[in-house]
Amino acid sequence: MILLDRVTKSYGKDSSKPAINRVSLHIEPKEFVILVGTSGAGKSTLLKLLTREEKPTSGKIVVGGIDYDTLKDRHIPLLRRKIGVVFQDFKLLPQRTVFENIAFALEIAGMTNREIKSTVPKVIELVGLVGKEKQFPHQLSGGERQRVAIARAIVRQPKILIADEPTGNLDPKHSWDIVRLLEKINKYGTTVLLTTHNVDIVNKLKRRVITIEHGKIVSDQLQGSYRQ
Amino acid sequence: MSRSSSQRASQVLQGQKRRRRQWLTFLRMVRYGINNFSRNAWLTIAATAVMTITLLIFFATMAAQNVLRDSVDEISNKVDMSIYLKSGTTETDAKTAISQLQQVDNVKSVRFISSDQARADYAEESKGDATALEALNEANNKFSAVLRVSLTDINKTDPLDDFVNNNVALKKIVNPDKKASFSGDRREAIKQIAEWTVLAQRIGLIASGIFIAISSLIIFNTIRMAIFSRKEEIQMMKLIGANKSFIRGPFIVEAVVYGFIAAILATAIGYGMLVLVNNKLGGSGIVLQPTIDLVIGYIGFVLLGMICLGGLIGIISSLFATRRYLKI
Repeated sequence: MILLDRVTKSYGKDSSKPAINRVSLHIEPKEFVILVGTSGAGKSTLLKLLTREEKPTSGKIVVGGIDYDTLKDRHIPLLRRKIGVVFQDFKLLPQRTVFENIAFALEIAGMTNREIKSTVPKVIELVGLVGKEKQFPHQLSGGERQRVAIARAIVRQPKILIADEPTGNLDPKHSWDIVRLLEKINKYGTTVLLTTHNVDIVNKLKRRVITIEHGKIVSDQLQGSYRQ
Repeated sequence: MSRSSSQRASQVLQGQKRRRRQWLTFLRMVRYGINNFSRNAWLTIAATAVMTITLLIFFATMAAQNVLRDSVDEISNKVDMSIYLKSGTTETDAKTAISQLQQVDNVKSVRFISSDQARADYAEESKGDATALEALNEANNKFSAVLRVSLTDINKTDPLDDFVNNNVALKKIVNPDKKASFSGDRREAIKQIAEWTVLAQRIGLIASGIFIAISSLIIFNTIRMAIFSRKEEIQMMKLIGANKSFIRGPFIVEAVVYGFIAAILATAIGYGMLVLVNNKLGGSGIVLQPTIDLVIGYIGFVLLGMICLGGLIGIISSLFATRRYLKI
């Protein structure tokens, strides 16, 4: 599902300290993978490479069968529609309601209003936001906002869901709610790549844990825990 | 054969589906643009106000050019040459000279005023002057008949001067004691005013170009700021797979709506100002009425022009402003 082969990413002209240094990684379909590492370790850069916000300096990336080497700029939106992304700061459209935020992901793909009206309520129900459809993001709690973001990310039924520290702005209770929701989505067959600093979550989930430090993968455990 | 026709049918169907999708996308962009407009109250008011000022400057500039031109024309019409004829000359006597005069370069019109008419005109002009009227009643000398010649361009008098000095037909009837004159002593002053007005028109054109450029820059920056405040929104749209045109579309629609409303406001304010100034300056020599009539007569075109201009400024501004946030 996700394949990185000796991927390096350097910023600017200084190639002596790359943000990502010859990283090779293989994630199978339907896997739940947690990516951990200190701030500046290279997690965000890795995710940006996957969403094609950044181009690698060298190496090969293949996601969902798409080889990024042959990917043209005009096809990037199509790639991104196949990957669901959830951010720490939610990145919702502040002027649009819960329903409109979720529907937006379908509208950009050109789905009809009828399809949207039948799909969005199902996802709203899945993330537990029934009754909040007409509210605006500022009227919701942090946990609810993150649910909207997850709903928007999965509404197109992507094969891959990337969650970049989705619990970073939430209290422990809401954090666990979000993690449970991600597990549920994974159970339906979506590959989940989660980055987090939350030791408790990493240790209790007992999932594959990849630790990254100074741009390199230093550990990759199938039922891993947080390395202190 | 049947395979190729089924392929064609499927291509047609796909084409229809694609067009339907494009139309749907377009409608959504319009809806989002209008939603953005109505949901960002302060930004909307600020951008519409700046756009209104920009368009008002444009309207005022165009109106001022028109008013200046009309005022120059008005002044020009008041300047005419009087060729004094021998007392008792009739229009029939002057017929040849008149028809030749009408052929002279730059001559707009020629009017014959008989001796009696000239006397009556003088009596009318001196209505409040008792001494002049008394002198007129007592005097038995007759007024000269006059040819009043008006020019298209009052700064170009040479062809007429040549004609007056050299034409044989005219020499036969002209009064040898009175030289032809250009509105008496006022000619130089009027010529001066006309020259100044032409200069003012040129300066006005340059100044209005500068004003329009500055106000376009202001509206460009206002829209850029409005888009800058939503750059995260743009980045998010990119990340969830919206293509560039879908992201840009609502911003362009929003800017066009600013332009549309601003065009109506600017036209209404501009027209109101014209009427107000006309009421205040009526009779001062500044000719506003034709411009007011023009605006009213062509209100549809004026509005359409203003809306197109507002929309164009909005589209260009939002295209430039979104460009930097749409890389990859």
